[in-house]
Order: sequence, then structure tokens, then C-alpha cells
Amino acid sequence: MIPLLASACRGVQVLGAPPPAPPDVRQLRTAISAERVLIAGYRAAIPRVSADASASAALAGLLAEHEQHLAQLSSRLIVPAGSADSAAPKATAAIPIPAAMPAALAALATAEQAASHRLATQLLGMPPSLAQLLASISASEATHVPVLDALWRSP
Amino acid sequence: MTGRAGSTGRLGARAIAALQAALAAEQAACYGYGVVGARLNASAPPGQGADADWVAHQVARDGLTALITAAGATPVPAPVAYELPIQVNTVAQARSLAVILEDNVAAAYMSLVGLSDTSLRELGTRELTAAALRAARWRRSTVPFPGLEPGDEHSLQPG
Repeated sequence: MIPLLASACRGVQVLGAPPPAPPDVRQLRTAISAERVLIAGYRAAIPRVSADASASAALAGLLAEHEQHLAQLSSRLIVPAGSADSAAPKATAAIPIPAAMPAALAALATAEQAASHRLATQLLGMPPSLAQLLASISASEATHVPVLDALWRSP
Repeated sequence: MTGRAGSTGRLGARAIAALQAALAAEQAACYGYGVVGARLNASAPPGQGADADWVAHQVARDGLTALITAAGATPVPAPVAYELPIQVNTVAQARSLAVILEDNVAAAYMSLVGLSDTSLRELGTRELTAAALRAARWRRSTVPFPGLEPGDEHSLQPG
């Protein structure tokens, strides 16, 4: 849809393309997209560990933390309607979750570590309060790695 | 510890205040881990004591002291002793104290993350993550927002 501006004196003018969202908004949208990918990964992995009550409970707990991350990140995203980046972001590649439980847990651990590193880099260019939120989420995701490692390395 | 901030005197008052707050948290952790270690190390299996964490906080404390000094400020010295926020008579209480120490350290480094200086922000993020990992190990569980969790009511006070 092309926005139009009606003017009594100069007729109908077509406005130019809306300005792109500022970099911090784009980074925030990337972080939100990455969090959704992690959540999808956990939802795919949980059925694969259903035979192990301890692993199921642990994954459910970690998933709940990611849902809190997503809620906090989403609450910070305020994009004016009609701005160039107001549409949903392109989907980030899903985490391939193998069928075997140890491999599924290892895949999640790898994804968590990568997500933590990515956020630690992203936050360097963000406003202070967003940087603090991303740092906290980065640290949280780093703490998930040893939990997952312990699960898949346990006999 | 590395970073541009370590070799210059250009840091502003807000950055110095954040560094001093992180230093105070590390000093308290060094003191507190002495108590934690005294309770844990006699009974802990190899590798599960408090020694490595104690050393990590000493290294971080010394790094912050050097940063503050390099910036032309005077590091605030540690109190001679602290009043512990909980009694530490059991292994479980020692673990709880370690969690409190790490949560306080994580919260202190969050102030560095809120600065515009990139090297201090990197330092804050790195040490926040390290504290969160140690806290999760002592707590035997994770929290969704390390460094942003309420916990100030348990800070160690100079005694």
C-alpha cells in the first residue's frame, strides 16, 4: 500500500517510502526473532525427551525462561504503524532437532551458546536500557548451556 | 581484563562510579567466599569447593582496581569486615551465601553494561555472564534475568 497525502492546493501527492526503522529497532527485532527460534527448538525437543522425566522438567523450565525473554523483548518494541520495518521479520533458520535425545539436547546447547554470543555482540550498539536487557538474556542463555550439557552427558 | 578504558584517564564520573560499585561488589565477594570456602572446602568433593570462584573474584577485583587507578581515580578500599546477610553454619547456608554474592556481583556489573563506553560494556557483559554461571551452579537452577533480579536486600554491609 502506498501512503497518500491529500492537499487542497497542490492535488494528490504520493509520499516517499517511509524511513527505515532505526538500527536499534532492527537489532531488537532480530533478538525477538532469535528468541522465537529458540522457543520453537525447545517445543520440538520436548517430545523427544518425554521418556526422561528429569530432562522433560528441565526443558520445560528453560522454555519458560525463554518465553519470559520473548515477552520482555516484545514489550520494548514500539514501531510506528506504516514504518518500513513494521512487518514481521523474516524467519530465522530453525534449529534442527535430531530425533535422539542426547543429540537433541546437544543441538539446543549449541543454539543457546550461539544465541548468547550473538546477543553479547548486538548489545554493544544498543541504548543503555536495552543493552542491559540483552546482557541479562545473554547471561541467562549462557547458564542454560551447562544444564543441557549435564543432561545429555548423563548416562 | 582488557579494554581501551584500562589505559586512559578519559572516563567520566558515571563510569568511575560504576567501576567503584563493581569493585565494592567484588571486594564483598572476596570476603564472603572466604566464609563460603571455610564451610565448604573441608567436605566438598574435588572440584566442587569455592576456591576457583574465590580466585576469580580476586582477579576481577584487582583488574577493577587497576582500571580505576589508570583512569586517575582512587579505588575505594574494602572494609575490614562485613556483616553477613545470613548465618553460615551449614553447607546449604554456604551455598546460599555464594548465590547472594554472585547475584550482587551480577547486579553491580549491570551498571557497566549501561554505560556508552564499549570496552566497559563488554567488560560488564563478560563479568555478568561469569557471575550468572557461578550463581546457577551454586543455586542448582537458573533464573531468567541475571543481574536484573531483585536481590539488593541481601547485600553485604560493612561490619
